[in-house]
Amino acid sequence: MPQLIRVRPTKIELVKLKRRLSLAQRVQKIVKDRLSILTMEFLHTARDTAEAKRKLLDEFSKLYRALSIAAGYHGYIALEKELITTESDLKITAGSRNIAGVRIPSFELMDNAKPMTEYNLVDTSSWVDNAAQLSEESLRAIVELAELQRNFELLAMEINRTKRITNALEYIVIPGLQATINYLNMKFEERDREEKARLKRVKVLVAQG
Amino acid sequence: MPNSLQDKANQSPYKKMLQNCLRGELRIVNSGLPQSQKRLSSLLEEKYPHVVCNDGSTHFFKRNELEYLASMLDTDEQKALPLPMLIELGANQAEAAVICEGQLEAKIISKALDMPVTCEKRRIRIYRPQLALLRRKFKTTTVYVFSPKIVT
Repeated sequence: MPQLIRVRPTKIELVKLKRRLSLAQRVQKIVKDRLSILTMEFLHTARDTAEAKRKLLDEFSKLYRALSIAAGYHGYIALEKELITTESDLKITAGSRNIAGVRIPSFELMDNAKPMTEYNLVDTSSWVDNAAQLSEESLRAIVELAELQRNFELLAMEINRTKRITNALEYIVIPGLQATINYLNMKFEERDREEKARLKRVKVLVAQG
Repeated sequence: MPNSLQDKANQSPYKKMLQNCLRGELRIVNSGLPQSQKRLSSLLEEKYPHVVCNDGSTHFFKRNELEYLASMLDTDEQKALPLPMLIELGANQAEAAVICEGQLEAKIISKALDMPVTCEKRRIRIYRPQLALLRRKFKTTTVYVFSPKIVT
């Protein structure tokens, strides 16, 4: 049973309660719309995250195979010596965007970053080229997965929060307001009836007198 | 129970918090709207393509999305296309509307969804499954607007 709100039984309070009810109903509509949008985005993100994870694992498996072959061909020490020159800082553009009130991060790997093929092309084989190309693709997949994973978490948290608000509105706030408005209406009707009865009684007394 | 109503009119802190929370919800749904839209051509020239939102935050665009849009349009059209595109969510939960200035948006949406769309009263009406498809293709170049008919 909905809990009544503690208010003075006056007409002004009734008007205020009706305003609060209309606000709550409007907010409920918006929150429900928002929840449906967030759920849709969440499902997309979940699907994309799973896809990105699968892609990353594939890339890694290809990369390790290529690296093993390159290491086997050149030897670990020689390969390490060549790869030292390719070390570079990763350039990522990090920003944010907004989905229905949720700020989520956005990462993008910069294209103008130093390429990985800066080793001596004469002393190395095509196996190293292949490994370098695959590692660039893996980096891209890592950045993509990082963004999706974070979006996934943030959207899930926001959906939980929004669901709590929707439930509070649906099961506590709106029923409480409606019950209080009904109670006040009944109270005013009762007062009117009492007033009428009193007037009738006074009329009878005056007529007798 | 009636006696409780005649008690002092003070609300519990929980109720006050709930009211504030509800007002906050109205504020945050449209906080991510851009203060002003930028043209595609100018965004392509920016090093970090972005617009500033109503709450002061920035909304970044992915370069590959901008390039995908640019590939659909010629140079004059690129100068005319405002971004981000606004998707309006109205009273009807089953559909949404893309707010458009001209036929450019219709052309893009038509190509992206691979179906003809019409622009009526500056709105292109699409259904939820199409909205999902559109958002999948244009994640950063579209933003949601909760209709002012609902939010007052």
